[in-house]
Amino acid sequence: MIQVLAFYLFATLAILSAVLVIMSRNPVHSVLWLILAFFNAAGLMVLAGAEFIAMLLVIVYVGAVAVLFLFVVMMLDIDFAELRAGFVRNFPLGMLIALVLLAELVFGIGAWRAGSIDLAPAGATEAAPMAASNIAAIGQVLYGKYLFLFESAGIILLVAMVGAIVLTHRDRKDTRPQNISKQNRRRPQDATVNMRPEIGEGVQL
Amino acid sequence: MVDLSQYLPILIFLGIALALSSLFVFLPMGVSRLTGTHNPDAEKLSEYECGFPAFEDPRSQFDVRFYLVAILFIIFDLEAAFLFPWAVSLDMTGWPGWITMMVFLGELAIGLAYAWKKGALEWE
Amino acid sequence: MIGLEHYIVVGTVLFVLGVLGIFLNRKNVIVILMAIELILLAVNINLVAFSSFLHDLTGQIFAMFVLTVAAGEAAIGLAILVIYFRGRGTIAVDSVDRLKG
Repeated sequence: MIQVLAFYLFATLAILSAVLVIMSRNPVHSVLWLILAFFNAAGLMVLAGAEFIAMLLVIVYVGAVAVLFLFVVMMLDIDFAELRAGFVRNFPLGMLIALVLLAELVFGIGAWRAGSIDLAPAGATEAAPMAASNIAAIGQVLYGKYLFLFESAGIILLVAMVGAIVLTHRDRKDTRPQNISKQNRRRPQDATVNMRPEIGEGVQL
Repeated sequence: MVDLSQYLPILIFLGIALALSSLFVFLPMGVSRLTGTHNPDAEKLSEYECGFPAFEDPRSQFDVRFYLVAILFIIFDLEAAFLFPWAVSLDMTGWPGWITMMVFLGELAIGLAYAWKKGALEWE
Repeated sequence: MIGLEHYIVVGTVLFVLGVLGIFLNRKNVIVILMAIELILLAVNINLVAFSSFLHDLTGQIFAMFVLTVAAGEAAIGLAILVIYFRGRGTIAVDSVDRLKG
């Protein structure tokens, strides 16, 4: 009973905050609503039994991606009112397309429910490996069967990292970063000179 | 199937947190409205900065270096997320799983070395 | 009782909202990127729902990969956005066709 209640709570909040993501005037508010949407989706995934994905959603999206969006919104001072100029004009067309898409998808779900097309015989899927918990089972499949896919995910992360650095990093000429090894290599005799000047001659450096 | 009853304390905790935080926000608003101290005017609502009008827009531009640090954080966050199921299931996946993860860590170490070399981690 | 259909309907609505967001905020790249994140969230919900329905963990593995790709996409997309803003002073989509080099 409480699961049904929780499902409807999470689903309603997720959809409402998704509506507010695309409707709100201020992009900062959009980002905050996006965080709420992800949080509720994580709740939905816990209800479906995917604990690890839910926690990942909270860690990665709420913790990192949303913060990145927030950074960018704060970093660029943009006249957002000007960017919303086409909002009202686009509204009827966008609504129409969204409704058509929704109708098609709901029709598809209904057709699936009627069960007229059977692509795979029931029970053809392999049984899940039995492990102590959701996370251990995921690890078993991910690092067993989908090992190369995992490596390519690592390559994607590497490319994203290098790409972001190449795009946004600028060499600053006006700053003087600390060079610790150079500092440590420096000896007194490199920096100081002992002189014994004669009277009235001064020092030649 | 996951035993959802383990999550009941978290749900209760979330409910209490929600109730308390909304209480802290809305109770003072309601009380001030009821007791008559809610009396806004233009001067009261304007920004206040040590007696001066505010010098500049509070949404000043951040430095782009914050953004680079945030990107590096995302990448290594995901790496840590992939480490959890690996660590839990290592006795089932054995050496292939271990080698896979070492290759993955090597890929990201290359990225870290690149970032270091380019000076993306330098601040001043 | 909550079944697969409930989850698919939630995923569908989120997907349609993401598409609608792209249509409505055609000039604001940041909101378009957020709408794409919503679409990917809908995909993840569907993957997890079917994974739970079929008792097959592959869906959850792919949800992890979708998450990874979404994070990379957000990072690169926002990086492009930052340098675009630096060069152009605006983030309106209209003038992207003049990008070069």
